Amino acid sequence: MSDLVIAHLYPYEMNIYGDTGNVIALRRRLEWRGLGAWVDPVPVGAPYDFTGADLVFGGGGQDRSQLQVAEDLQARAAAIREAVSAGTVFLTICGTYQLFGRRFLTREGSEIPGIGVFAMETVGGRKRMIGNIVVSTQWGDLVGFENHSGRTLLDPGQAALGRVKKGYGNDETRREEGAVTANCFGTYLHGSLLPKNPAFADELLRRALSRRRGQGVVLEPLDDRLEHLAARAAARRP
Amino acid sequence: MLRLVLATAVGRAAGLLSRLLGRGGSALPGLIAEKIDPRAIERLVAPVRRGVIVVTGTNGKTTTTKMLVGMLEGEGWRVVTNPTGSNLARGIATRLIEVASWRGRVDADVAVFEADEAAVRTLAPRLRPRVIVVTNLARDQLDRYGELATTAAHAAEAVRHAGVAVLNADDPLVAEMAAGARAVRFFGAAEGIRRSMPHDSGLYGPGEEAPPPALDLRLERAEPEGDGQVIELAAPSGERAAARLQVPGPYNGYNAAAAVLAAAEFGVPLARAVAALREIPPAFGRGQVVEYRGRRVKLLLVKNPAGFNQAIRLLGALSPGTPVLIAINDLDADGRDVSWLWDARVEDLAGTGHRFGTAGIRAHDMALRLKYAGLEAWSETDFAAALERFLDQVPEGGTGYLVPTYTAMLRFLDMLLPGTSKREAWA
Repeated sequence: MSDLVIAHLYPYEMNIYGDTGNVIALRRRLEWRGLGAWVDPVPVGAPYDFTGADLVFGGGGQDRSQLQVAEDLQARAAAIREAVSAGTVFLTICGTYQLFGRRFLTREGSEIPGIGVFAMETVGGRKRMIGNIVVSTQWGDLVGFENHSGRTLLDPGQAALGRVKKGYGNDETRREEGAVTANCFGTYLHGSLLPKNPAFADELLRRALSRRRGQGVVLEPLDDRLEHLAARAAARRP
Repeated sequence: MLRLVLATAVGRAAGLLSRLLGRGGSALPGLIAEKIDPRAIERLVAPVRRGVIVVTGTNGKTTTTKMLVGMLEGEGWRVVTNPTGSNLARGIATRLIEVASWRGRVDADVAVFEADEAAVRTLAPRLRPRVIVVTNLARDQLDRYGELATTAAHAAEAVRHAGVAVLNADDPLVAEMAAGARAVRFFGAAEGIRRSMPHDSGLYGPGEEAPPPALDLRLERAEPEGDGQVIELAAPSGERAAARLQVPGPYNGYNAAAAVLAAAEFGVPLARAVAALREIPPAFGRGQVVEYRGRRVKLLLVKNPAGFNQAIRLLGALSPGTPVLIAINDLDADGRDVSWLWDARVEDLAGTGHRFGTAGIRAHDMALRLKYAGLEAWSETDFAAALERFLDQVPEGGTGYLVPTYTAMLRFLDMLLPGTSKREAWA
């Protein structure tokens, strides 16, 4: 019997920025505490019941895959919005994050509809925003690597994940990065994100476990010295 | 013509000056020559008697090029080639200027150039290769090249400009390029070998299984032996030839098949091409063995998840307890984004019983990757200290494995073989 069910959205289509590392991190950090996770892959076209998942993860992909995924997401839009309202924990990164907004306008002028979990839009730009990034959040500084040409503009009232201390973030001008709605998180940070940001990884796990058990859960602390060394090294890099 | 003479002369003078100033070689002569005569490459390469071969792809370019040069020189031909890693237009121009007469005349039978997979799109129409070889395509340094689909489109465009395309039938992204080629020769491997080689498009997902195209040369066998392996190649005619390669890993068997097939386009018979493979030493850092303080250090350069997975497979076949030092840098030449470490199947190293250390600017990232794969490793960001610690674990007369990214490899070679990195890598 697993203690937590993780749904991995589009593991074969959206997988080029080490995002699998996030699932590895979630799984390991549960195992190190004597807990077990079950990971459901949810590829394009496969039926999936989100009410059975405690934590849903979706990563970044190449443009070609993103179109395929966008279409598939439309078919799941209602189910995903329902799950978000019900407090299911989501972590969406880069390509999936963009599609959780209202829409993506490409540089060529075509429109890819999103599923509107986040009140935001993304516009394709010429410049690629590439580099190590540090974001200040209520769970401490998050360190990652961003690589996107889309500029994401949050509506007034849409909460960001944090403030950019170094790097570009959502659109390079507003110093905002990511978005948060209920327990649904979106961000441009890969690298992978969770292994180097253990406090944030544990926050996701804590929320998911608490919701599953119907009571507040306190996670045993782990030895995260190596995680912090890696994060510090990344934060110093261009 | 006058322009070319001027371009050659000024370029060579610049190269001479740069060497006098003790900077070793550089791509400066090529850069200058191209400024003076933007068509310098086209003009310099035109008199090459039998034609040009271009080798591109993500992994295996350098090794395949080296193999081809060996085979063609074995025919008694004068061969021009670019030095390791110097695979952009300016590097190729520099090389051509170096071998040209003062009047800008290149005296060669064949030219074999490895070309960067992003630069090949513009290089191919300039070099007008008789043969282009595409080894494989995998994601590599996304922060530099954008996306795999873009890289594939660049290579596919280049293929159109070649007389014959020698393509990897087992790599779907490469095999697709046949559609735009004037003529195609396919190399590939027997099923057992093919299964053991995850290509990037098949790396993660089930993917569609297109029926593989008919092969013009097949890698039948690739069995490890000592530091290298024994391979056997078979032609559709039923002809077969076997040889011992000095480089390990089935992917080098693929490289050998690609080189043999390209050489066949120049009339080199299978048996002679395969025989030539025996003599070809490993390319810089690709399975190269360095003797140091009575120990053997074997280098396995890694650049991307596909290459890393190949190294992981090799390491998995070694006796338990082998010291392994993985060195990850994140400079431009390595790729600034290290998230690819999380896409490699590091978990496959669990159970090998090897002793792991990590080094480089991102040593801690690698140690963390190993930790989440259930493996313990020490990490040391200082290169000299990391080398000492690693060598301490290698018994005298024993072998340790160094698995570095490109610039990390240069740092270690500066210590292991002083002077090499300046001589070999002047990209």
